[in-house]
Amino acid sequence: MSDAAITPWKPARVPLQTFADAILPLALALAVAAILLALAGHNPFEVYRLLAVESFGSTRRIAATLSSTTPLILTGLATAVAFRAGAFNVGVEGCIFVGGLAAAYVGFAFAGLPGVVLIVLGLTVSIIVGALWMLVPGVLKARLDVDEVVTTLMLNFVAVSLTAYLVNGPLLAPGSANSATPMVVAAARLPRLMPPSTLNIGFVIAVLLLVLYWLWGNRTALGFETRLAGLNARFATAQGIDVPMLIIKMMLLSGAIGGLAGGIHALGTVGRFVSGFSPGYGFTGIAVALLGRGTAPGIFLAALLFGALATSGATIQLFSDVPIEIVEILQGMVMIFAVARFGWIFARRRRAA
Amino acid sequence: MIEPKADAGAAARLGASNVTRRFGPVLANDGVNFQAERGTIHAIVGGNGAGKSTLMRILQGMDSPDEGFVLVDGAPTVFLGPADAFGQGIGMVHQEFMLVPGLTLVENLMLAREAVDRLGRIDRRAALDAARRLEKLAGVALDWDMLEQDAPIHVRQIVEILRLLYRGADVLILDEPTAVLAPAQVGELIALLRKLRNEGRTIIFISHKLDEVLAVADRITVMRNGRVIGSLDREEADKARLAEMMIGEIIAQPKVRNREAGAEMLSIESLDIAGCGHAQLKDFNLSVRSGEIVGIAGVAGNGQDEIAEAVVGLIEPRSGHIRIGNMEVTDASLGRRRSAGLSYLSPDRAAEGLCLPASIADNMMAGHHRAPEFCASGISRRGAMHSHVESLLDRFAVKRGSSALPASSLSGGNQQRVAVARELDGDPKVLLACQPTRGVDIRGIAFIHQCLLDYRNRGGAVLLISEELDELLQLSDRIVVVYGGRITGEVERGSADVAEIGRMMLGDTA
Repeated sequence: MSDAAITPWKPARVPLQTFADAILPLALALAVAAILLALAGHNPFEVYRLLAVESFGSTRRIAATLSSTTPLILTGLATAVAFRAGAFNVGVEGCIFVGGLAAAYVGFAFAGLPGVVLIVLGLTVSIIVGALWMLVPGVLKARLDVDEVVTTLMLNFVAVSLTAYLVNGPLLAPGSANSATPMVVAAARLPRLMPPSTLNIGFVIAVLLLVLYWLWGNRTALGFETRLAGLNARFATAQGIDVPMLIIKMMLLSGAIGGLAGGIHALGTVGRFVSGFSPGYGFTGIAVALLGRGTAPGIFLAALLFGALATSGATIQLFSDVPIEIVEILQGMVMIFAVARFGWIFARRRRAA
Repeated sequence: MIEPKADAGAAARLGASNVTRRFGPVLANDGVNFQAERGTIHAIVGGNGAGKSTLMRILQGMDSPDEGFVLVDGAPTVFLGPADAFGQGIGMVHQEFMLVPGLTLVENLMLAREAVDRLGRIDRRAALDAARRLEKLAGVALDWDMLEQDAPIHVRQIVEILRLLYRGADVLILDEPTAVLAPAQVGELIALLRKLRNEGRTIIFISHKLDEVLAVADRITVMRNGRVIGSLDREEADKARLAEMMIGEIIAQPKVRNREAGAEMLSIESLDIAGCGHAQLKDFNLSVRSGEIVGIAGVAGNGQDEIAEAVVGLIEPRSGHIRIGNMEVTDASLGRRRSAGLSYLSPDRAAEGLCLPASIADNMMAGHHRAPEFCASGISRRGAMHSHVESLLDRFAVKRGSSALPASSLSGGNQQRVAVARELDGDPKVLLACQPTRGVDIRGIAFIHQCLLDYRNRGGAVLLISEELDELLQLSDRIVVVYGGRITGEVERGSADVAEIGRMMLGDTA
């Protein structure tokens, strides 16, 4: 391949590619879902209008949307941090479960402590537990080259089952038949931003972390090293960067953010830990990270999109005969298209033309 | 199946008529006319970015021209893809071989054209028979049951060539075939190409090594900046003339001052390494002083890789010591070695020397990004980084659009300049330079050689590992010859004699 030939050609296609990467998955998903809606006898434009109204139509709906966006920002961030280092961590879901249970435990077991201490302690414990949950996969990948996809995926099952066991036995709320811990004390609940909405201070924490993530990726030596290691581990090694150690660190960080997502969900939204605590936030987070291409603004917008779909999907059934499954299909479509890379299709077409 | 078409000696077998190929604003090929006569070896020479590879991709159907035609037996032809070109007897051996690891050589040979019996089962006996016929044709003997990854690189190359013959090609396009070969193997390859030509096949041979081109070609076409500068018969061509056509001017050989070797910067003492292949290092001793370039010569696979890996710390020696300056680094990580003053120019630019998807600026800063002038308590100083990168890129004359573009946007020669600039940045104590000019054109080579010499003259110590004997002879103050993991001799600048070094490379101790 002639190197000189490529030089001025590549930058010209970058904006188009970025745009296609970001918008095309959503557009295609909407188009395919529109066909399905039409086949099922609904007017797709009416349904989409309803979805928009139900997610952004009023202050209350916006608050609800931001509330469901919060865990997705955090799980998307957790996944993206590991991606940066070249580790495909699919275990954020497990971190939510263990982190959520840990925070809930602090919230009801240390009821005597003052509110601020209780919240800080609860979230800190969820962070630590989440990080520790990723320790073994991180070390196994870094030192023995064990595939982290397998280990983290399997640990999800362990996390779900382990927490389910705990809330059915040792931590079961007295007198309760449900698989749930006691409610955390009121002081341990995260302050709400716009009552009666469940939107709470966790959203602010999530956005703050996104800003830190952006600064970390673009302005710090560690972020620089992580990016290089993720793009080309051999190169990073040859430049003297300790790549295995970096992978362990980023897996721990990823787990910590995942644990925090659980902690915020427990203390902010749910108020306790119940079995089936997360409706797949960790997995949606993978789609969020991919759709957002690992960038801070991208993660925010992708989380907002999935958050909006989740909120509007829950209420759309009340106002139309559109079944919630349609919204779930739409979500699934976006996820599938998000994973595909579209930029190269354009590049190839331009070449063929 | 493997017989060339009969009417040898007839007119042009493959050619290009007014071929133009644009990539955005760049004319990779600009009205290229070219004809390779049947039964000849036609060399195409030119620097990086001259348009050789683009033309070859067009001739082989991997790309199509914006204007003009490919001529097959004189007739304008439009290929739909490489398979189409194959149907017309045109095949190519790419620079990166296209063999499958995990399959044996004979399996690789018949891949996609498997010999099958009536039940559709693979007929190994028939495949092996075909392999033996080809082997005889080529005048070589191969162990066909060897796994691809176990075969030496020159054997893989022969398999690539035989595979084209197996699939019926009578036009063979070879892209930089000698880049991976040791001198003796180059001779074998040239003999094979001559034999194939004498049987009536047409060979198109891309290279930027003029000696080889002059040794093998019947006709030589020179390209520069996407245009054909001219085509010469072998008899009309000589090295100076070709070089002038290639670059438009004569590049002066680097000036070499006498050395003033100073303190020992790199020392390897009785190093023992159990290599996983045949090459091991046994009781290896080497010392590089400030202000000298020590070259290591040897046929590939005689311990050079192990020396480099031991110096950067990628393999653990069984015994022995490595010191950088006064610091013992035998067990240190590469990061510690780098802080002790080691710099490492990787032989594998695309996979290790650069991070191609990252920006040019990131590639320049990697490894220096924690230096106090670029980093305060973990926070990058972006302004300082930016001005440093720009001034370095200017000093090393790297042609680029913007330093924020990915390194992959640079041509090969400019990529290597980025790697060299980065490794010489901050005046390291010792530079381990492995194949510093691999895949770089003449002008780039001269520039990089001058950089290495300037660094030496400033008091730098260079351990140079290269497969280019010319490069070693030009740059090295001392050449150490290795064979089978041992030093078989050492020659000083000026007293170096190619024939003698050649003997030592084959195991004769001086």
